[in-house]
Amino acid sequence: MQQHVALDVAGHGHSSADHAGGHHWEVSWAPMAISFGTMFLVPLTFVFALVYKMPLVAILCAGIGTPLVLAGIARWVHEGATQPSAISNVSPVGVGVFIIGEIFIFLGLFASYWMMRLSAGDAWPPPGTPHIGTTLPIIMTFILVGSSITYHKAEELYEHGDKKGFLTWVVISMVLGAAFLGCTIYEYSHLIHQNFTPATNQFSAAFYSLTGFHGSHVIVGLACFLFVIIGALRGGLHKMFVKVAGIYWHFVDVVWFFVASQVYFW
Amino acid sequence: MTTATSTDFHDKSGSTLKEWIFTTDHKRVGVLYLVGAIAAFIVAGIMALGIRLEQMSPGESGLINYFVLDFAKTMPTGTAYNVALYFHGAAMILAFLIPALTGFAANYLVPLMIGAPDVAFPRINALSLWLFWAGILVALMTFFVTDKPDIMWTGYPPYSVTTTANTALYVFTVHLIGFSSILGAVNFLVTIIYMRAPGMGWDQMNIFVWTTFAAFMIQIVFVPVLASAVTLLLFDKYMGTGFFDPTRGGDVLLYQNLFWFYSHPAVYVIFLPAVGLLFDIIATQARNHVFNYKACVYGGIIGILAITGEVWIHHLYIAGMPDWLRIGMMVSTLLISVPVGLLLISLWGTMYKGAIHYNVSMWYAVVCLFLILVGGLTGIPLAITSMTVHLSETSFVHAHFHFIMGLMATFAVFSAVYHWFPKITGRSADSAIAKWALWIKVIGTQVTFWPLFIIGVQGMPRRYWDYAMFPQFETYHTIATAGAFLIAIGVILMVGGWVWSAFYGPKTDSNPWKSKSIEWTHAESPPGPGNFPKPVAVDPYWTPYNYIEWDHDKY
Repeated sequence: MQQHVALDVAGHGHSSADHAGGHHWEVSWAPMAISFGTMFLVPLTFVFALVYKMPLVAILCAGIGTPLVLAGIARWVHEGATQPSAISNVSPVGVGVFIIGEIFIFLGLFASYWMMRLSAGDAWPPPGTPHIGTTLPIIMTFILVGSSITYHKAEELYEHGDKKGFLTWVVISMVLGAAFLGCTIYEYSHLIHQNFTPATNQFSAAFYSLTGFHGSHVIVGLACFLFVIIGALRGGLHKMFVKVAGIYWHFVDVVWFFVASQVYFW
Repeated sequence: MTTATSTDFHDKSGSTLKEWIFTTDHKRVGVLYLVGAIAAFIVAGIMALGIRLEQMSPGESGLINYFVLDFAKTMPTGTAYNVALYFHGAAMILAFLIPALTGFAANYLVPLMIGAPDVAFPRINALSLWLFWAGILVALMTFFVTDKPDIMWTGYPPYSVTTTANTALYVFTVHLIGFSSILGAVNFLVTIIYMRAPGMGWDQMNIFVWTTFAAFMIQIVFVPVLASAVTLLLFDKYMGTGFFDPTRGGDVLLYQNLFWFYSHPAVYVIFLPAVGLLFDIIATQARNHVFNYKACVYGGIIGILAITGEVWIHHLYIAGMPDWLRIGMMVSTLLISVPVGLLLISLWGTMYKGAIHYNVSMWYAVVCLFLILVGGLTGIPLAITSMTVHLSETSFVHAHFHFIMGLMATFAVFSAVYHWFPKITGRSADSAIAKWALWIKVIGTQVTFWPLFIIGVQGMPRRYWDYAMFPQFETYHTIATAGAFLIAIGVILMVGGWVWSAFYGPKTDSNPWKSKSIEWTHAESPPGPGNFPKPVAVDPYWTPYNYIEWDHDKY
């Protein structure tokens, strides 16, 4: 087991001797499949479903887009695990830069929320807002922080080459992440039942966009965990991918403090 | 593309269609960016011709509907005109200028200039490219739907929410191209930090590498804010939320703030790489070092980076804000002239006592110096609040930003294409026709935009398709329209020349300009996969502008 992980880690390093010869034009169809798959899956599906009210065309677009995106991601992960990268060990910096971008998306949403909140004065929460309990978000916070800790534990075991322990703790992290999403779904259905929909008032708009955007990050994080597990089981897991998934997940965790404190406890 | 030079280094089997469209090589990604950007430029340029034709006379020309493919004339003239304005603005900025500078130029040149075999994440690079192309395709859907977006490139609510037009196409175009920019930033920031050739310090980088670094720093911080703004616009229109609806506790100014929080820095995303290209072209053709390199980099480029996020509110002077904020933003807006001025002093200084060789790319660069002056100096009255009250929403503004973005940045892109054409294709695009194309465009642009300055000061509003209340401006509009068609002739000659030269132009050696920059000294033309036959390393005294023998003790 240990030997196996160690072998996976080796071989992805980049040595300058590779420059001299053996270069050929690198190709990959994965980026194109993901791009155009995304174009079908998001813009076209949305436009046909919600603008032109043509559900059949929308389903067709989603049906074209989904397999393209999934095949592209699978191919990408496969290539990432088997092909040498242009430069090793910089993926965590790349994901760090990406997280700066993410922070500013959240800041844009927070700014909108703060603007409406502060200009409303005493008329907050606006009419139509039911009582939103704070017990569930506290539980959700513990779940998410717990999953960050369990993933950290998994990373430690990975460093030590304990593949089985690593897999166990990744699965535990994933279950916790899924439980968090389950809580969100429960809360949403509960609130929508009380006629608190995104269109209800300013607070509902901010509430659903902030928690929903955070939730979408949880989904992406869970997808990363899924690829970590698949990669580990197939034996082609890149050390950097484990690290990148971790950094992203910790970011999702930290952002939750801001979302929860602003939405539930202010 | 044909392989001009032949060495064992080249893999000659690399020219199949598959190896082009599935490529993850930064050079090919760059060329495909250029193809998409020029395609967007041509379609958006055709929209501009339609706009000028409609404005040629005060009344209805009836032609603008044809330009937006509304042959049955189901749309009123004003709506068709707004569709053309929307596409012209959105495509020129999002699908031409930004991708041509941070897509094509950055992709092709940055790894070569820093001596790297590729970017840090080649597959992410290809993903950026195809997201950009997907964005272009979504934008082009404008012409094939009946509810064409007519919301300008700004997409201001409440109109963009209440209109029956398809705001979603605008939002998703921004999303796709914006995501492409974010991934580009991830790639290039990491590449420039970690993949410089051994020995290359930060003070030894080409100015273009510095400006690309700064441009992507701006992109990674500000593009996400635009993405969140247009996402809320989408929610407002299709999910019934009220972020920008004042009757429900929202605020239209919120959108304008979020939008310009990105879109003013976007000016520097375009301006910085454009100026960076000019530095490298002028230093090479003037055979001179960059004048005051450190003041240019740490004062000019970093200075712009420091102030860029504090000036956006000058776009909202008229829309409404407290007076104290107006004054503060006037000061910060005027303050940004200081780093811009440092850059310009360095640009002019680079020509000082140089041995200037005027080929076509150098002529473009010299024309750019003039365009920056006009565009920059006309920005000062717009920054001053008391004058903006008069000039805002007139064609003075329109002429001002066309000089700096539409002309200067665009000419810098063209200059770069000519300068690096031998590197990209192994052939030269410098010809008499190329020079004719240049001067036709120079005359055309001046004929188009000076009248707009004049009538702008006299009160001609921006964005009007019918100006029956201002019949005195007709002559000026007619002259401007004639100029626009001159520009079109120049563009046709230029792009036709590129295509012809790529296949039949005279072959060049790998360093026709005798440049000292790594992409010319260490790589073939065109470079093969992996870029360099041998790994590149530089010594502590190397600079890309080492045209004059340095006295090493002094530095």
